[in-house]
Amino acid sequence: MSILVNKNTRVLIQGITGTQASFHVKRSQDDGTNIVAGVSPNYERAEYLDVPVYKTVREAVSGNAVDASVLFVPARFVKSAAREAVEAEIPLIVSITHGVPVHDMLEIKAMLKGSKTMMIGPNTPGIITPNEARLGIFPENINQKGCIGIVSRASTLTYEAVLETNKAGLGQSTVVGLGDDLIVGTDYPQIIEHFCNDDETKAIVLVGKPDNLYEQMAAEYYAKLKNKKPIIAFIAGEEMPLMPTMGYAVDIITHGLSTVRNKKEIMQKSGMIVVDRTSEIHTQLEKIFRK
Amino acid sequence: MNIHEYQAKQILVQHGINVPDGAIAYTPAEAKRVAQQISSRGPWMLKAQIQAGARNDGYFLGHSAGQKGGVRKITQISNISYEAAQMLNNTLVTEQTGTQGRLVSKVYVETFKSVKRFFYVGMVINSAVPAVTILVSDVINQDMLKVPSEFLERILHIDLAYGETITDKQIVKILDFLSLDKKHLDSFSDFFSKLHRTFLELDAQMIEINPAGVMKNHEIIALDAKINFDDNALFRHPEIARMQDDYEEDPRVLRALRYGFQYQEYEGNVGCIVNGDDLALECMDIVKSKGLSTACSLNIRGGVDKDSIAEGIKIIMTNPRVEGILINILGGFLRCNLIADGILAATQEVGLNMPLIVRLEGTNKEEAQTILRQSNLPIVFADDTDDAVKKLQISMEEND
Repeated sequence: MSILVNKNTRVLIQGITGTQASFHVKRSQDDGTNIVAGVSPNYERAEYLDVPVYKTVREAVSGNAVDASVLFVPARFVKSAAREAVEAEIPLIVSITHGVPVHDMLEIKAMLKGSKTMMIGPNTPGIITPNEARLGIFPENINQKGCIGIVSRASTLTYEAVLETNKAGLGQSTVVGLGDDLIVGTDYPQIIEHFCNDDETKAIVLVGKPDNLYEQMAAEYYAKLKNKKPIIAFIAGEEMPLMPTMGYAVDIITHGLSTVRNKKEIMQKSGMIVVDRTSEIHTQLEKIFRK
Repeated sequence: MNIHEYQAKQILVQHGINVPDGAIAYTPAEAKRVAQQISSRGPWMLKAQIQAGARNDGYFLGHSAGQKGGVRKITQISNISYEAAQMLNNTLVTEQTGTQGRLVSKVYVETFKSVKRFFYVGMVINSAVPAVTILVSDVINQDMLKVPSEFLERILHIDLAYGETITDKQIVKILDFLSLDKKHLDSFSDFFSKLHRTFLELDAQMIEINPAGVMKNHEIIALDAKINFDDNALFRHPEIARMQDDYEEDPRVLRALRYGFQYQEYEGNVGCIVNGDDLALECMDIVKSKGLSTACSLNIRGGVDKDSIAEGIKIIMTNPRVEGILINILGGFLRCNLIADGILAATQEVGLNMPLIVRLEGTNKEEAQTILRQSNLPIVFADDTDDAVKKLQISMEEND
């Protein structure tokens, strides 16, 4: 098993003819991802990269069963692309693009509420279940199939976490990048829940970020969770000098609590195993699985 | 993107919100002329225009600037040019500028407005809800700094989800919170609706009016204004994008930005080149743990060519503070061989006279290592970040 995506997941690509999309779709196909169709509003031919291409999501889903859609569209079109996917009731959308306006995300969050769609991202490397499905831009060549679930708000350090699980000889069940934006479609609790319900996943690695309160919210959720699996948590940035921000409003809504030290403290209290370096992840994993 | 107070006030006026009459001045003589134009007998407020708060409690570096802060009340027209001369071309340090301060290149002159009551208003994107959250408090100015730690209960939060507008019930809540009577309902409703509309229309991430004042006629006036815009939405607002003051930005930051890279400066002597701001943070943590300290970090994004990468690397190599360089790349999107090509191009132009440690992992790693080994440059290779910093520390000691 795995979470969210596997070899049977039928994947649609919105914006399939773009340069980055083409490069990564090809790689995903080579990696075994079941890509069934693409959408590109201005593409005149019926096929691209051996899959049928449609002008709209609605046309794409009328001829093909779709379980998930990856959005490779430019930032300014993410809102309308997401709306198309939500209206087509696609269960999962993964938005790779960085630079989506935050007010658009407020609108997208309102769209998602009460819909049948779950959104991962934006500004995420995507989701990967090794050797089965690669939705996004993860460097699949470093992934190994295994039993550790990785959930991350970071970007590059997610790859570092992947390498650590390899080092421990455990590999990954699924890797989920939540996205590195102020507002994202899905945050930690939902993914932790999925991992805890997945038989194959034996432990979870969480990679956080210094800003916002997402890690605090994850800790709050984890503290109350019954039947929890071990979580090894890491956040970089303890030594970053405090950067002056203009005004006080941001500090007020985060209660002045969005510091790395505070996050680590709260996560530790919730029962997570907090490490100070990514290089300690594999030693902690080895400790857990030697028992 | 941040803008200056005077620009923020222009925006508020365009959206129907009251601000004191005022204008910008670049010289002491101009400041006096402006003061005479806006009011015949004062008093006036003279305000240093830098994009940082707490100017009132700030201080200027250098003797010529006198002892006073960056916001001054002036009662005699004859004093305007003298006081403006103290501010202009001097560096103002406040708790929000860092110790290096900001050079003041312009002052804002406005009429002094007496009000019967001050209060704080903030409006900010709150990701935890998510919503636009309105903050109201009777604590004002820099006293706000202590609020998160000491008196959070003195701030009222009102969340407006997507599609919601502020209701009369919420306005009454604000009035009760500030102990103001219902006579103010219309003026408060008008002010908060306009502010919210401004926030949404312009893709703001933060608006702060610290303080706002209640005038005798119950109307609200914005005595200060800070606005921060979402960089990702500037394509919708070319008129806002044009307000960017390059003077406020570090030239190296702007140079890096031209190639699509993030660049940040600190106090140390190690230059870090990474892909991913999170990787930059872990590098900093590890550099610090080995008794070294970061001078600057450059964050390279995927989807760029080798020439841009070379330009980025040159920014780090030519930073006079840098005595050792750490290149730490975990390539996914970004291919390692491009980094190797970039390193070669940069060193060919500016040479390499300091330790350079390279850790490359991920896409096209082997190809990159071959390129670098064949170059015969004195590059040290590392397996992971810990290893890289350890090797850098040793090389820098040897180099001393």
